[in-house]
Amino acid sequence: MQTDAVAAPAPLAAALETLRARGLDLRRGSEPVAVAAPRPAVPTGHSALDAALGVGGWPRGALALLDAPPGGGATSLALGTLAAAQAAGGLVAWLDLDGTLDPAVAARLGVSLEWLLVARPRDPGEAIELAAWLGRSGLIDALVLDLGAGAAPDRRALDRLGSLLGRTGGTSALVLAPAARAVAGAVAGVRVALHRSAWLAVGRDLVGQRVRAVVERNRWALAGASAELDLWFGEGRRIDPLVATLAEPRSLEEERSALRVVSA
Amino acid sequence: MTSILVLAWPELRVPDADPRPWERMLDALDDLSPRVEAVDLGVALVDITGLEPMWGPERRIAARAVMLTRAVAPSFVRCGIGKNRWLASLAARLARPERPGAPAALRTLDRDELRDLPLSLLPADSAMRRRLALFGLVRMEQLAALPRSAVAAQFGATGERLQALARGHDPRPLVPRRRPERVAAEAAFEPPLDGIGAVALTLRRLAAELCDRLRDRHLAPGRATLVLGFEDAPALRVAQPFPQPALEPDWIARLLLSRVEAAARARWLPNSNQDDSRRADPATGARSDGSNMGKSMPQAPLHAGQGTDHPPQVAVVGIWPESSEEPRVASVTLAFDRLADPATSQLPAFEARAGRWEELRWSLERIRHRFGEGRLWRATVERPHAALAEHRSRLVDIGQ
Repeated sequence: MQTDAVAAPAPLAAALETLRARGLDLRRGSEPVAVAAPRPAVPTGHSALDAALGVGGWPRGALALLDAPPGGGATSLALGTLAAAQAAGGLVAWLDLDGTLDPAVAARLGVSLEWLLVARPRDPGEAIELAAWLGRSGLIDALVLDLGAGAAPDRRALDRLGSLLGRTGGTSALVLAPAARAVAGAVAGVRVALHRSAWLAVGRDLVGQRVRAVVERNRWALAGASAELDLWFGEGRRIDPLVATLAEPRSLEEERSALRVVSA
Repeated sequence: MTSILVLAWPELRVPDADPRPWERMLDALDDLSPRVEAVDLGVALVDITGLEPMWGPERRIAARAVMLTRAVAPSFVRCGIGKNRWLASLAARLARPERPGAPAALRTLDRDELRDLPLSLLPADSAMRRRLALFGLVRMEQLAALPRSAVAAQFGATGERLQALARGHDPRPLVPRRRPERVAAEAAFEPPLDGIGAVALTLRRLAAELCDRLRDRHLAPGRATLVLGFEDAPALRVAQPFPQPALEPDWIARLLLSRVEAAARARWLPNSNQDDSRRADPATGARSDGSNMGKSMPQAPLHAGQGTDHPPQVAVVGIWPESSEEPRVASVTLAFDRLADPATSQLPAFEARAGRWEELRWSLERIRHRFGEGRLWRATVERPHAALAEHRSRLVDIGQ
């Protein structure tokens, strides 16, 4: 006589749990696809560029290269990023190799100098090392590594900085390196090129420029997106773009105060 | 019966006197009595009540106080001994040296000796002195003999107070100064450890131990002194003030380690500089002095070719040996002082970013040790509408 009963098979859900506990990424077809948590980001200060970057801004724990010729708007965009990071309650730093940062302009573009650390390294190697120290502290939300127009930095050091920021994960580093775009572009996780499309003028005064920011490389989202940005110089107030579209100049005074877009 | 010793240094009472030895003189008096009051620069009160069995009669106690303070600053001092502040102070004022060139003058004063002294010695303003003179009062005895109610009716509360002094009464107590507190802990290694970086864990443990002791008393240290004893080399001593009083063992240990390594580099390789080290290792991040990327705590020993270009601000005891081997650490002594209430810095409780900035200042201090002065700044806008950009703003050194 057969006395041993055949053991009932374990429920499928329990088996799936067992496999998941072993690290296998299994799911039922009816279950929704798990969405990975978005990479934390520092806002750029321009919603269009935030959307183009795919993660809502400059990804934290990464190097991002702002590829623009001198005068191409990289500094204005970087200062806008610092202002946006400060508005979100963060601490920011500017590593100024050439000593070209004008704090007054930064303040006019919205940067709170009270929470801005300015570092003056002596050479590109020291600048990268200082950035590593600041990134390792985990207290700086965004830093700008302005390598200026001097000597190119060591690629291995930049690569090492990128790895360190990736491990720390809290700091977003923007690299301004017109003279070393090849070296910096090779190691940066994000590369954004700025192309000027128009000047913004009031009367005879140029007050800003319109640039097209193209995300040429992005390790955390699809590359190729672009955004049109109006970058204002620090010399004047922000001009309401509605002035340009709604106001019909009728007097000399009004004509002087109206915003004009001049092709570059 | 209370007995008070007053010491007054005339050289410290002049307007341009050097106040630097004053604190150390008070510290020296702490060895004589636990109750020392610093009235003003150059005037100290010492409660010598009950010290006779230990130090001998009052005159000998005064001589001992003079000896202790002259070891710090050899200045002439007037000493007065009395039963209260007024009598002791007046005694010091009236003291005259026994011989020319004597280092000190001592006088004791009793209430009975007041009677023949002039009223001009009382701390009264000129108007009060004139009023007293109008009544023919010129000696202490005359004022002391008047009925108190009559003095109060004629001269008011000030007159009452002056009469009490003329009678030799002074109710003001001696308020001892708060002795600077210091807590210390030490550890010895047997066998000794190889290299300064190897003491990191011990340093962290000692800092945590001291922080726990202070946390119970709601105090936080403002400065640390670290002494490393070596097996075959003179000790290395560094004193590191903190950006603000804090009870964070990790911050303290890291800061001290970077400090002592900077001091060791400066002493061991005084002629080297940072540029040399960079040429030796241009890749960066491969250094062992805390700049090693990815390491949260520098631990590896120093190597030749590393240096720093900022001057050491530490008291280095002795000279490092010229051998290439780094001395082996035999003992560590860590002391905290400048204790303060940590509640004095409450801004981080209201502004989260301020708290992070305070924490960042500890990292910036370590960066200063590594890279030297003149690297880290804060910007302020002074003349926003100036024509030249360099006139619009100013950079302020973080370390200032």
